[in-house]
Amino acid sequence: MELPILLDQLFPEGHRVAAEDWLVSGEATLGGRPVAVLGTTNHVFIGIRESIALSGKLLDIVERSPGMPIIMLVDNNGQRMALDEELLVLPEYIAHLLRAQQLARNNGHKLIAVVYGNSIAGGFIAFGMLADRIVSVPGAETSVMKLEAIARVTKMPLEKLQDLARQVSVFAPGCENFFRMGGLHEMWADDFSSRLQKVLESDDAQDNRAILGKERGGRNVALAVIEEVRG
Amino acid sequence: MKLTPRISFYEASARQRVAGILDAGSFREILPPTEQRISPHLGMFGAPVAFDDGAVVGEGTLGGKEVYIFAQEGKFRGGSLGEVHAAKITGLLRLAAIRKPAAVLGLFDSGGVRLEEANAGEIGSTEIMRAILEAQCAGIPVIGLLGGSCGCFGGSGITSSCCDALVASEEARLSVSGPEVIETVMGVEAFDSRDRALVWRTTGGKNRFLFGKVATLVDDHIPAFRAAAAALIQPSEPLTVESLRAERVRLARRIDDYGSCTDARQVWRKMGLDADRVPDMTAAELTAAKPA
Repeated sequence: MELPILLDQLFPEGHRVAAEDWLVSGEATLGGRPVAVLGTTNHVFIGIRESIALSGKLLDIVERSPGMPIIMLVDNNGQRMALDEELLVLPEYIAHLLRAQQLARNNGHKLIAVVYGNSIAGGFIAFGMLADRIVSVPGAETSVMKLEAIARVTKMPLEKLQDLARQVSVFAPGCENFFRMGGLHEMWADDFSSRLQKVLESDDAQDNRAILGKERGGRNVALAVIEEVRG
Repeated sequence: MKLTPRISFYEASARQRVAGILDAGSFREILPPTEQRISPHLGMFGAPVAFDDGAVVGEGTLGGKEVYIFAQEGKFRGGSLGEVHAAKITGLLRLAAIRKPAAVLGLFDSGGVRLEEANAGEIGSTEIMRAILEAQCAGIPVIGLLGGSCGCFGGSGITSSCCDALVASEEARLSVSGPEVIETVMGVEAFDSRDRALVWRTTGGKNRFLFGKVATLVDDHIPAFRAAAAALIQPSEPLTVESLRAERVRLARRIDDYGSCTDARQVWRKMGLDADRVPDMTAAELTAAKPA
């Protein structure tokens, strides 16, 4: 879904959200109250520079707008794959961005990720998967790895994988599969604004994805194992 | 003179590492292999399963202090994060946030998400990350130990980077995309994964130590890992705007200083080190030579 259309549908009461290159930020009004908006666009790759640009915006929000909900707009083609960025310890930059999200959560900000474009592998981990609640809108694509690549690594024939992908959700790309695994809390088809307000009304920020995965039949054992270990 | 035989962390199995890191005989495993929590997914790929799904979790003591510990078994499917594997680690970290041991130790050895369970592994890895961040908020430090034969890549690379502190050997490799992945996607000119020296100096423990991501560099010797981990146990620092601003300044400065480098040797020269000597230095020598 195109960013301007998404913004208009999420925030019919109005918004001051601007995109500079790949970085989307600003504020919007929802149910008469201000919310912070932070996101990415143009299928950006999340690398070292993107990570600290996003963390800088998050820290500004925490400092200047205490407790304001943060709507994270997700569109990326994954982590940036480059020797010079791994050389500078890319995982440290991503972990820093995750810490900034945790700081926001600790300080009473609700974090709601809206996947509207691509959300792939390390890019989705860096920005989206650690939100309190994660939703998708039409046109969103989530994936960890393409079936062709899985076929190459697992040495399974692609046709067999495609056949399996129709039966189980555990490995194949796509929002439906992610939803069944508990990786998306909700998939929205319409009425984004009222759905977003409803998500924001809930006070529950617990990581409940293993519960959802069990309820939806995508991840049948994770919840039980977590609970057995936790005792 | 009596020589101490080296006990390699790199070569050891996950359980041997756990036994060597903790006080002798103190380990109590949770959901041990006898409980047979196997992957519910690998069977349909005709792939072998392990009774522990490649993750060992439990509790014990280190220098008398109660610690929780998890260890990835690199010898089973590259230490990959599958549904059960990840859930065991998440469960342990959630238990730690409640019971408050002195620390959680994470012995990483993992190529990342298990592709046969890609979605379960990726979601599971972010459940681990959140559980680490939340254990830290409860004051529990999470200390990562890196030096296994599979390195620490993908979801495990990001997970380990969420730790309060890392102990690593030169043999440790830490990054998001593994060299083979970059080569496959971007081409061999972007990263020649068969060039072992290039892989090690780019992602290896020495480079991560010189950038400050690894707190303590050790030689590939389990007792050295044990001593370093014990010395790093202290309550997790609370997250604050100030602490994260300072971290951000440090990371931005790294890009300013080294963002144009395309090889670790350039980085080391800029740091004032003899780049040709770095690969041959012991952990102690490099620690002494590291610029402040």
